Amino acid sequence: MAARNDADILSVLKRDAESGFRLLMAKYKETVYWHIRRLVVSHDDAQDAAQETFVRIFRSFRQFKGDCPFGAWIYRIATHEALRALERRKDERLSLDDPEAGTSSLMTDEYVDYGDLEAVKFQKAILSLPTKQQLAFNLRYYDELGYDEIAVITHSTAANVKANYHIAKEKIIKYMNSTI
Amino acid sequence: MDKKFDFNSMGKRMPYKTPEGFLDEMEANVWKEVQHELPQTHKRTTFRLRVFAGAMAVAASIALLLVLNPFQTDSFSRVERAFANLTEDDQAYMLAVYQEDIFINQ
Repeated sequence: MAARNDADILSVLKRDAESGFRLLMAKYKETVYWHIRRLVVSHDDAQDAAQETFVRIFRSFRQFKGDCPFGAWIYRIATHEALRALERRKDERLSLDDPEAGTSSLMTDEYVDYGDLEAVKFQKAILSLPTKQQLAFNLRYYDELGYDEIAVITHSTAANVKANYHIAKEKIIKYMNSTI
Repeated sequence: MDKKFDFNSMGKRMPYKTPEGFLDEMEANVWKEVQHELPQTHKRTTFRLRVFAGAMAVAASIALLLVLNPFQTDSFSRVERAFANLTEDDQAYMLAVYQEDIFINQ
């Protein structure tokens, strides 16, 4: 199915929720999944959070007032669901007295290719960043969004996002050049 | 001298893999979750349309049978021939009987 622009999708959504939502998922399901996956690492958690994102979008698209780009609104919900999934994971670990509790690491997952050492190290570098820097880096580097849009998604300012992105890049370079 | 990390060499490569068909599965799960929340008016309209279309199909079939039924044409012509063979008095009697018959003229 051809990618529609957000205005078209919104207009179809208002006329016919089912058709509009099909268009929305066709355009965003992959994007949303990967945005979440980069944050939560585990495929199962990412799939659950992505599903929850779309259910929430379906239940609340009528409340979208158009005060921000529709895409940014979708990313914001996806980010929220990803952070919720991470919180749940953190609670589970804490309850098991896991020494890794509260840290972001590349957990064991059957859907990670641990053989690609450089790519694994790169993801570890990203996951070692504070959440705001992770979000700024991922949304800029992978999703190629503008600073303004990222600012809307992360409830920040474009200047802060830009600063976070550059700090994140510096930290990643340092991590990648280290012998960790 | 340290080898400096270059973002260009990494590009967007990631070590993450996915099971085959997971996006379709994900979409199916979402639909399962929201199916009962689709606007009722849409469902009702669809149901009414289906009932109306069914009724129209049945009505059209009956109309076609009535118009095209060869037995009916044949039996009418036979009755007409038999009626013509009757005497004038018998024809008048038959007409009077059938005109008053509430089952035939309902």
